[in-house]
Amino acid sequence: MVEINPDFIKLDEEMSSRELDTSPIDLLEKIKQEGRVWEELSEEYGVDNPDPPWRINLESTCDQLANGYWSPFNICRPVEEQEEPNDNKIDAIERRWEEDQLVSELYADVPFPERTLLALAHTMIRRGILSEEELAVQMKRVSDRLNMEDGAYEEEALSNVELAKTENQ
Amino acid sequence: MSDKKDDHLHPPAAMVDEVSEFEILELAVRELAIEKGLFTQEDHNQWTEYMHTLGPAPAARLVAKAWLDPEFKELAVKDGVKASLEVGIDWINSMPTHFGTPSDYCNLRVMEDTPTLKHVVVCTLCSCYPRPILGQSPEWYRTPNYRRRIVRWPRQVLAEMGLQLPEDVEVRVVDSNQKSRMIVLPVRPEGTEGWTEDQLAEIVTRDCLIGVAVPKPGVTTNGQRPVRKAINPYHH
Repeated sequence: MVEINPDFIKLDEEMSSRELDTSPIDLLEKIKQEGRVWEELSEEYGVDNPDPPWRINLESTCDQLANGYWSPFNICRPVEEQEEPNDNKIDAIERRWEEDQLVSELYADVPFPERTLLALAHTMIRRGILSEEELAVQMKRVSDRLNMEDGAYEEEALSNVELAKTENQ
Repeated sequence: MSDKKDDHLHPPAAMVDEVSEFEILELAVRELAIEKGLFTQEDHNQWTEYMHTLGPAPAARLVAKAWLDPEFKELAVKDGVKASLEVGIDWINSMPTHFGTPSDYCNLRVMEDTPTLKHVVVCTLCSCYPRPILGQSPEWYRTPNYRRRIVRWPRQVLAEMGLQLPEDVEVRVVDSNQKSRMIVLPVRPEGTEGWTEDQLAEIVTRDCLIGVAVPKPGVTTNGQRPVRKAINPYHH
């Protein structure tokens, strides 16, 4: 005996009729091919945690991107303070449906949760929420920051102070 | 010399000493979303902090209590949300929303197994899961393979996952939805007579609570679950 959600068939049909561009995105393909997944890193470094440290952050981003009913904080706000519907937000069911399609067609060989991350970035680019170029630029900024050598922060802060002084003169 | 120094003699815990492209991508996506005003850093931090507190321990405790106390069991089956309060989970006023967690809506149903009835939980549509009381869903639970096949061939899928059920046990698959989340209250296994609540809670693993495993004395961890691609995706 099966108690299936009666909305399942209706929603599945609705989702299936939507067009999703599953063509590869160069930036994400590069990450897929060259990025080191947690499975590999944790084994190499002897770390027991089955999930990468960013997994909960990713789940949280997905939740925060949810719109309207699914938005984690919206429902608890007084009506006058609730967020206006935002076209750049992503309905949770649509995101999961797109993730399934993208994983099946492009990211099947990537383990979880890396493939969820690639699918989310893909969805955001194809919806026009982000562009591939700005994501590449932001990744470079993040990479420079995370890979900064010891002492570099202080040097950078000092040079910013010097720069500000020069500008103010 | 302080005694404290001795506390630090153990070797440091292993850690990954490099930044992966995926870690960079996660942060870049998050920062751009914040920059574009899709959510705030504060909301993200608050939600993440809350999510870090979640795990399957409260649900295991609920089952152990129900095994020991028939009145509590009755309450759990009748009103899962109320029963959850006794294991520290407040579905209605939980942090950080103070109004439940909408994406894990505030209606918990506790599905009671009997010797002739076995429940198993799925979310056919996406991967709805009772996170406030069970933590993050496992990978296999999210896969189309599990979601599509468990409703069609539950007995076979359970067997693949290591749970062979006798023919006289009815299998009931329950589908989560946006308003209800489910956990399974399995049958208390033989060999646990006289056990304390703590001992009982230890054998109620996450997979027992989803319904793809049954509690067994001595088994306190989830088995390895194969993750397979759907060969024949289910279309309507």
